[in-house]
Amino acid sequence: MKTAQEMRVNSVALIDGQPWLIQKAEFTKSGRNSAIVKMKLKNLLNGSKTETVYKADDKMEPVILERKEVNLSYISGEDYVFMDPEYNSYELRSEDLESVLPFIEEGMSDVCEAVFFEGKVISVDLPTTIVRQVVYTENAARGDTSGKVMKPAKLRNGTEIKVAEFVDIDDWIEIDTRDGSYKGRTQAPA
Amino acid sequence: MARWDIFCSVVDNYGDIGVTWRLARQLAAEQGHAVRLWVDELGAFVRLCPEASLDAQCQHWSGVEVRQWAEPFPVVEPAQVVIEAFACQLPASYIEAMTLSGTRRLWLNLEYLSAEDWVAGCHGLPSPQPGGLQKFFFFPGFVEGTGGLLREADLLTRRRAFQADAQAQQAFLQSLGVVREPGARLISLFAYENTGLAGWLDALAADPQPTQLLVPQGKILADLQTWLGEGPLAPGDHSRRGNLLIHVLPFVAQDDYDRLLWCCDLNVVRGEDSFIRAQWAGRPLLWHIYPQEEGAHWDKLEAFLAIYSADLVPEIAAAQAEFWRAWNAGEGMEAAWPALLAAWPALQRHAEQWCDQQAARSDLATALEQFYLNWLSYAA
Repeated sequence: MKTAQEMRVNSVALIDGQPWLIQKAEFTKSGRNSAIVKMKLKNLLNGSKTETVYKADDKMEPVILERKEVNLSYISGEDYVFMDPEYNSYELRSEDLESVLPFIEEGMSDVCEAVFFEGKVISVDLPTTIVRQVVYTENAARGDTSGKVMKPAKLRNGTEIKVAEFVDIDDWIEIDTRDGSYKGRTQAPA
Repeated sequence: MARWDIFCSVVDNYGDIGVTWRLARQLAAEQGHAVRLWVDELGAFVRLCPEASLDAQCQHWSGVEVRQWAEPFPVVEPAQVVIEAFACQLPASYIEAMTLSGTRRLWLNLEYLSAEDWVAGCHGLPSPQPGGLQKFFFFPGFVEGTGGLLREADLLTRRRAFQADAQAQQAFLQSLGVVREPGARLISLFAYENTGLAGWLDALAADPQPTQLLVPQGKILADLQTWLGEGPLAPGDHSRRGNLLIHVLPFVAQDDYDRLLWCCDLNVVRGEDSFIRAQWAGRPLLWHIYPQEEGAHWDKLEAFLAIYSADLVPEIAAAQAEFWRAWNAGEGMEAAWPALLAAWPALQRHAEQWCDQQAARSDLATALEQFYLNWLSYAA
């Protein structure tokens, strides 16, 4: 058993006998020193979706999932096709990728993990840290170099995130995919 | 009429029992339900209901069956509606009885009060449990999409009648050993320990307008004692420093505490229960929020200030916010107090407007009843 706050996005919990994929999990401190976790769940048997809340220390029964390394092959409309090293392809709809969709873009080389439940692919996890290029951001107004002042920046796929004010157009940045936060400026991937 | 069980685990202070005791009484009196209140520390309950027994397994007050929540938990038929207050853990045997009963029951976790944005997004959401038990999270709150605030149906009528009756106020204050002096402002003080108290008391003592500070027994007395430089303080004690006259009051029952708030020009309150009651008093207030780990309470304080001050002009809102921040930081009260006084007339008007605004919304007990009815009709 795990506590609700230990359950991660793209893990599966057995709730009242039904397997539920955790598509989103938000941890919040409520009152005094307790906390809650709001989850967006998808039922893997019938496809229904629901939003739930648990106490952070509520016990949940995790389902052990099979995982396999994959790379993005191509995107066709709402369909995302990934391929493993043996050239098996796995197709997912955008709704199955909700938590990672903002960071998926054509041509990305990140080694991802396809997640399987009873032999069927149900989602894909990205690496914790990914590198993306900024395609648009306003010029720095005050010349801040501390990295504490933030401004919006647009990535190649249209996703907007907050970056340090000194980041320029065409810069490469590191992003933490767990919360979508900017980690720092970096070199273009080799 | 349905049977409701409310579970209250007293963690510290009087917020848990204060809220659940009010809710239990209101559900019984206004919604006509058979309410059992399970309390794991009757001592805290007796402070709010002094006529109650400290060791009775079962007793009845104000239409509520008050039960001692002890281990082993007795074998009882679970209620149709079960409320775990403030995320307390229900007895395992009670959960098992709910599971095995074969009857649908509504299980609610009544959460803490917060003005933060995320509350409306979590209010009323299910929390599926093993055995098919249907549990939901219920959040009190200040805005649409939340469960509202505890407010008895006749509360504001009673409050306004009392505030319009100078004799009733005088008699009540005299019953506490307080005689209001001409021209003096009255401030009630109910707070956690606070290092900012001394600076504020210095400012009040030096203020041209006299102040009478009414301090019910509680955690702040130790700081007060230090400032006065006197021995242990007890109910009935009075001390004067400059233009400040301090009265130490006994810990009073909930209805008397309401009257105390209604008498005062400014109410210093803490936690959750007294914080809500001060808003219904229609008078300016100062909130000492429950301090949380990693400073999580600051976001909650700012969230409330943002909605409470939304209709105030920026200078007034800033004066109030700085006063509240200073009190919660435990420093800077001597500087924040004069700025607050400059904003005083506007804050007085605003306190009554805020009260009216909140009273236009459904109260917590009514919202719980409606949630229950919706749940019943959804299942039908």
